[in-house]
Amino acid sequence: MKALPWIVFGIAALAQWAVPVAGIMQYEQVLAQGSLVKIKCGAPDPYDPLRGRYLAVRPEQHQAGVPQFMKLGRGMRVYGTITTGADGLASITSLSLTPPAGGDYIRLKSDYVYDGKASILWPFDRFYINEKLAPEADKWFAENLRSANGITAEVRVLRGRAVLADLSLDGTPFRDILRQRVK
Amino acid sequence: MNNSHQRWLLEQLPQWEHDGLITSDAAQALRKRHAVDGSQSALAQIVIGSLGALLIGTGLIAVIGYNWDDFSRPVRLLFAFLPLLLTQGLSFRVLQRGATATPWVRETAALLQALATGACIALVSQIYNLGGAWPDFLFWWFILSLPLAWVLRSHAVTLFYLIAIALWSVNQVGHGNPWYDSPLLYPLLLLGLLPYWPGWQGTASLSISVRWTMTLSAILGLCSAAVFVTDIQGDYSYYQYDTYLWLWTLTAAVCVLFPLNQAGLDEATGRKPQVVLGSLWLLGYGVAATFHPVSRDILKGTSNALPLPWCQGLFLVLALFALLAAWRQRWAVLAIASVALLPLIAFLLMQGKDDPNSSLLSSLVTLHLAVVGITLIVLEFTRRRGAPRLGAALLSVLIIARMTDSHFSLLAKGSAFIAVGAAFLAFNFFMSRRPQAPTPV
Repeated sequence: MKALPWIVFGIAALAQWAVPVAGIMQYEQVLAQGSLVKIKCGAPDPYDPLRGRYLAVRPEQHQAGVPQFMKLGRGMRVYGTITTGADGLASITSLSLTPPAGGDYIRLKSDYVYDGKASILWPFDRFYINEKLAPEADKWFAENLRSANGITAEVRVLRGRAVLADLSLDGTPFRDILRQRVK
Repeated sequence: MNNSHQRWLLEQLPQWEHDGLITSDAAQALRKRHAVDGSQSALAQIVIGSLGALLIGTGLIAVIGYNWDDFSRPVRLLFAFLPLLLTQGLSFRVLQRGATATPWVRETAALLQALATGACIALVSQIYNLGGAWPDFLFWWFILSLPLAWVLRSHAVTLFYLIAIALWSVNQVGHGNPWYDSPLLYPLLLLGLLPYWPGWQGTASLSISVRWTMTLSAILGLCSAAVFVTDIQGDYSYYQYDTYLWLWTLTAAVCVLFPLNQAGLDEATGRKPQVVLGSLWLLGYGVAATFHPVSRDILKGTSNALPLPWCQGLFLVLALFALLAAWRQRWAVLAIASVALLPLIAFLLMQGKDDPNSSLLSSLVTLHLAVVGITLIVLEFTRRRGAPRLGAALLSVLIIARMTDSHFSLLAKGSAFIAVGAAFLAFNFFMSRRPQAPTPV
């Protein structure tokens, strides 16, 4: 039985690596192979005590129509089919309880369901930024929130999983804009 | 007897020997019997070690939080895994040293590794801009930290785990959550600390802080599960409060009857938080149930709860614990725990009918609590494990409750209150003069 602590410790140490590494592999796969969709959003500048400064990314679309015979309750997992419009911006056009057979889709959570429409909870809600850039990011956000094109979230999507890759304004990456402004 | 009590005793022995209170042989026998365990370093050392680990871990998280934008993703990932690797190496060394490693070094290594694990997960989620769902983050953090409580016998990690599983369970009381992502997992999570439990071979007695944390964590976790199972989904989702209140009461009965070994039974009641907190709830619930309107809500909750699998599971555990308690002759706690079953008895007697005018339950509870109060006093006078002051307090509260409920004049009520108060003080005075009973509850 003297080996038991060592076995437990070994398994624990491996698991402590395996869990984040498994996550990293999934996210890397999504970033490398996923389709790029652009979603219009807003983003103020709050703070997470564990992970630092971030922009709270809030896609403008927060509701989607529930098909007539679909029984959707609060907190249920649901799949949203993504359709890209003529302006290049994507939106959720239909919901289903199982993954759609084709096309791009995102795994979401439903919130309130009322009057044939479900509030949707997106799988991403924050974009982490450097502490030095955060105040400038806040100003940039305030200036551009209501611009014609608005801020877009660039999201990579693969088999329902979504990873927020970048924020951009008129096609220019958010970090590049900020670095120009800070100079 | 813990180390500080033993130290006090050893300090007194020379004086007692000098005063002729004990012989030198008796003093020697006491020294042998209550030798201070040298392997356990002072609490201060452990606290300082844990604080140091906590500061380093928090600092690490803050450094990570800065978000090193100038580095590439692989380099930033290296930042996440390097502290984890270092702390794993430290724990490895501590394990190698085995029993020779001092407790504070063990605590520090375990806490540092737990914090490095959390920091690693946090940084990965920062790099990939993952959502802010802290319960998911917390879940993986405490699951991955749990083995450190087993192998390094770390109290700090145990406390972290107990607090984290309680917080997670409370948060998971969400409408529509699937069972595998809900507080229903709490019993399994608590079982994760099984090798740490009292009675488990090769483990020392749990410290009072771990006991209280464990009890509070269990109460929060199990009560969250009780709320979760009463979720009614519809256009307006809600939880049935009268149903989960009775499930909470069954949970309190389970806590009170939690099996103890002989050493546990011999300890003072204050060192058994599950008995203290469980009894307080049960007696409070009992007194509330003596009021007719409350008893009606309780009966409604009982009929709602009976078909729930969670309720049936609680019954099974309760029956098992009650049998064990009867075998150990824990009559006082059995008497208190029986309060939880009164709504069921009333429900069966009424044959499941909801009669708004029936005062069966309130009368039954009043009678039962009076019997429990008298039993707790009588047990003490028959040299068994009783709780005379609790019994007297219960009788007093019961009389006051019935008086407030009655239609007597204010003068009559006031006189009754004075009489009860005086009787209670007299009883307390009498008990303080009486020699202590050999064993507590």
